[in-house]
Amino acid sequence: MAFDLGQEAEEADLLARFGAGDEVAARLLATRLTPLALRVAVRMLGDRVEAEDVAQEAMLRLWRMAPDWQPGSAKVSTWLYRVTVNLCSDRLRRRRNVALDTVPEPEDGAAGVPEQMMDADRAAALEAALLRLPERQRQAVVLRHLEGLGNPEIAAIMDIGVEAVESLVARGKRGLVAALAGQREELGYEND
Amino acid sequence: MTEKRQKDAGLEAFFEAARADAPVPSTALMARVLADAEAAQPKPPAVGLIAMLIEAVGGWRGLGGLATAACAGLWIGFAGWADLDVIRSGLTGDEVGVVELMPGGEVIALLDGSEE
Repeated sequence: MAFDLGQEAEEADLLARFGAGDEVAARLLATRLTPLALRVAVRMLGDRVEAEDVAQEAMLRLWRMAPDWQPGSAKVSTWLYRVTVNLCSDRLRRRRNVALDTVPEPEDGAAGVPEQMMDADRAAALEAALLRLPERQRQAVVLRHLEGLGNPEIAAIMDIGVEAVESLVARGKRGLVAALAGQREELGYEND
Repeated sequence: MTEKRQKDAGLEAFFEAARADAPVPSTALMARVLADAEAAQPKPPAVGLIAMLIEAVGGWRGLGGLATAACAGLWIGFAGWADLDVIRSGLTGDEVGVVELMPGGEVIALLDGSEE
């Protein structure tokens, strides 16, 4: 990535520069962090339009928080993950209050899957399977296996202990295996 | 255990595919985010007109020099050339000579009508 400065300290530095009125810092932070918020929101909500709204809102909160940011208090990206995850939870809670029959069913990843799945098919099947997981398991699996975060950071984001993260990830993966059971060969079930 | 490893390996292929197919922000989303940033960004302290003028003449020191020069010019304007000797001799003890810096300046002044 052209604007990838590589270091977490540089994100904090960019945030401080943004707070001091530096417009270039705003562009660099937006380029670097908006994709992060969007990825998590899409995987959590399964709805691109809603996910874009969440990503925009999360970034807006980052802009507003910038002048009060305490260097060394946390990683900027950890803070943003946490805000995004919480915004998604709010959206999902609101959805649950809507009549169930108005919510579209997630696609059935097990139906009509060809023998040789293309990568895009695999990605789509996984995203559909993720939407079947309980929310907290989905958060943990997305952060661990799609965002590549370590368990301590996920624990900080989800405000739980590391053991609870491990448990959620393990249960989430079992749920995914069950949801993707239609792709037996892909999952290494051919000997069952 | 072997079965678990097989399942993990199979699942990893799905994770890898999803990571490679990660959603990226649209141009429209980036524009919205940057517009929010611009609106929310604290602005650097504004520089007032007077502060800009003072800065233009070299700060307070420059402003002092400018004021002195303006006062001297005003006095010379009122007192005229005749009294310039008084200033000059008072300061240096030398005689003052008048040098024509713009020969024919009176003609221009006459054309301009300012002498009338």
